Amino acid sequence: MAALRSTPSRLLAAASRSTRAGPSMFVRSMATLGDSTVEANPKGSTDSRMKSFQVYRWNPDRPTDKPSMQTYTLDLNKTGPMVLDALVRIKNELDPTLAFRRSCREGICGSCAMNINGTNTLACLCRIPTDTKQEMKIYPLPHTYVVKDLVPDLTYFYKQYKSIKPYLQRDTPAPDGKEYRQSKAERRKLDGLYECILCACCSTSCPSYWWNAEEYLGPAILLQSYRWIADSRDERREERRAALDNSMSLYRCHTILNCTRTCPKGLNPGLAIAEIKKQMAF
Amino acid sequence: MASALRPTLLRHTAPAAPTRRAITTTLRSKQPMPSAVAKAAAFHASSRRRLLPPGPQVIHGSVNDPAPVPSPSPTHGSYHWTFERTIAAGLIPLTITPFAAGSLNPATDALLCGLMLVHSHMGFQSILIDYVPNSRYPKSRKGLMWGLNAVTVLVGIGLYEFETNDVGVTEAIKRVWKA
Amino acid sequence: MNAQRVGMRALRQVVARQPNAFFAHNLPRLALANYQTRGAATTKLNQDDAQALLAAQRKQRPVAPHLTAYDYSQTWFGSSIWTRITGSVLTGGLYTFSLAYLAAPLMGWHLESASLAAAVAGLPMAVKGGAKFLVAWPFLYHAFNGTRHLVWDFAIGFQKGDVTKGAWVIWGGSLLSALGIAFLL
Repeated sequence: MAALRSTPSRLLAAASRSTRAGPSMFVRSMATLGDSTVEANPKGSTDSRMKSFQVYRWNPDRPTDKPSMQTYTLDLNKTGPMVLDALVRIKNELDPTLAFRRSCREGICGSCAMNINGTNTLACLCRIPTDTKQEMKIYPLPHTYVVKDLVPDLTYFYKQYKSIKPYLQRDTPAPDGKEYRQSKAERRKLDGLYECILCACCSTSCPSYWWNAEEYLGPAILLQSYRWIADSRDERREERRAALDNSMSLYRCHTILNCTRTCPKGLNPGLAIAEIKKQMAF
Repeated sequence: MASALRPTLLRHTAPAAPTRRAITTTLRSKQPMPSAVAKAAAFHASSRRRLLPPGPQVIHGSVNDPAPVPSPSPTHGSYHWTFERTIAAGLIPLTITPFAAGSLNPATDALLCGLMLVHSHMGFQSILIDYVPNSRYPKSRKGLMWGLNAVTVLVGIGLYEFETNDVGVTEAIKRVWKA
Repeated sequence: MNAQRVGMRALRQVVARQPNAFFAHNLPRLALANYQTRGAATTKLNQDDAQALLAAQRKQRPVAPHLTAYDYSQTWFGSSIWTRITGSVLTGGLYTFSLAYLAAPLMGWHLESASLAAAVAGLPMAVKGGAKFLVAWPFLYHAFNGTRHLVWDFAIGFQKGDVTKGAWVIWGGSLLSALGIAFLL
């Protein structure tokens, strides 16, 4: 949307937004590359700011062709601020054969997770660095099997998610017969866990998950697992922990912490895993 | 969203002639892309010497079948982890003391040797678990694990010999360092 | 581009707007909407065939670049892998020395601490210092980072900034103190 608004109105909106909300809006840091918020040319001139985007391409219709990098050049003055805007524009105007997943364009669906300039993030939350000399490199999520271009196959990731039983398991009915109540403190334990959107950015940033994805669950699934272990309403905590108590599922985590550094939602999978290990150890 | 608003987009990009030509060609005819717009570069998806080639993708069952959950074995899981950390934590005072006290007495020196040996052994084991996955190379994994066990036993004997016949590890390091 | 949608939108624009340059631009699309058809051919497959086709396609898929594409400071210079590398180097040294010591009587080597110290004493200062540095740095790096890992195991120190800064502090600190230990001690 932002891409289509005229530049002055966008600037105006940005200015008014910052005065109204102030810095409190940015308490949870979102993944950004480059921090410039100026979208238009500072001088207000109409000079084009051409930036190159190198995008990973592979076509399943020609499986014998090696994957390649294709370069697209866009004028940043006519492109929205986010990488997803650039990708949408490439697909609309330059190359309709480019494939990538996207849906909500506001960091809530997790579809557009990809590797941008070396780190995994959501294309819709990642600003395009305004430095036009640097080329942007866009890859699919690392060490995933590629369906096409930037679309990875996450089937096994979802199967692993299912294996941790991501739902409330209880045997006793609610005391008041209506709902399972939590104290505020108990609810607070789920903060930083329930926000996970399963975009797979963290799991595919983890070298341990690269080498052992079949058996190691990976940061995202372990964070989800901890979300259910930490839930005061769940009554199968022991079983959940026992399911992780083997050499591979949990303990392939070596606290590399690429997960914590990459999470586009500002969550901390590394900490969640450490909490599980701590609970299981002592 | 994007396609619904495309006319507006086109109005915006109208001055950019090549982009506009690109969209019209795709709409009207099956002409190939103008090469000036999109140029492909040669690219290696992975280096020639591939680390841990993952092999072709094989998925058993549909997306609705959960991935298999291994049966619990705390000796390889939580007990192993706690043991590993205890050993590592125990090494900290034993490595700091020689810096403060010069060297260790024979008993603590032997303890240091033993802990170092176990720590090293577990470290190598964990390297093998990571890089020689049981699911793909069960035979190499087994062989390497037993090889490691044998070597560690030999090293243990060697260290025992050194401890009993020589001055001890910390004292030896100190003497070589001061030499 | 959905042909139907193009037609709908074009029609709506014709109704809503007075003729302008924009209308003229949409004329060819309006015409297109009448005869454009989807060229995709479809085949019916039963469940098993579809699964087999999917399995066959999966086998052809490439693996997305990882070590070559990911941020090098987090992979090649990551503190975790270097803890492992330094640990392996130290352990390799310990294992080699210990095995050699065990074999020394058979091979006629002299690996007693006294003869080793004498051999090292004969080396020039720079070589001695360099060799000491090559032992001291892996040891210190492994020790510092190992301690950090033990702290992490208590679920402490996971703030993003601390993690990133800590990695560089350990690189700098281990290099500096290794130089100190190698040349001053």
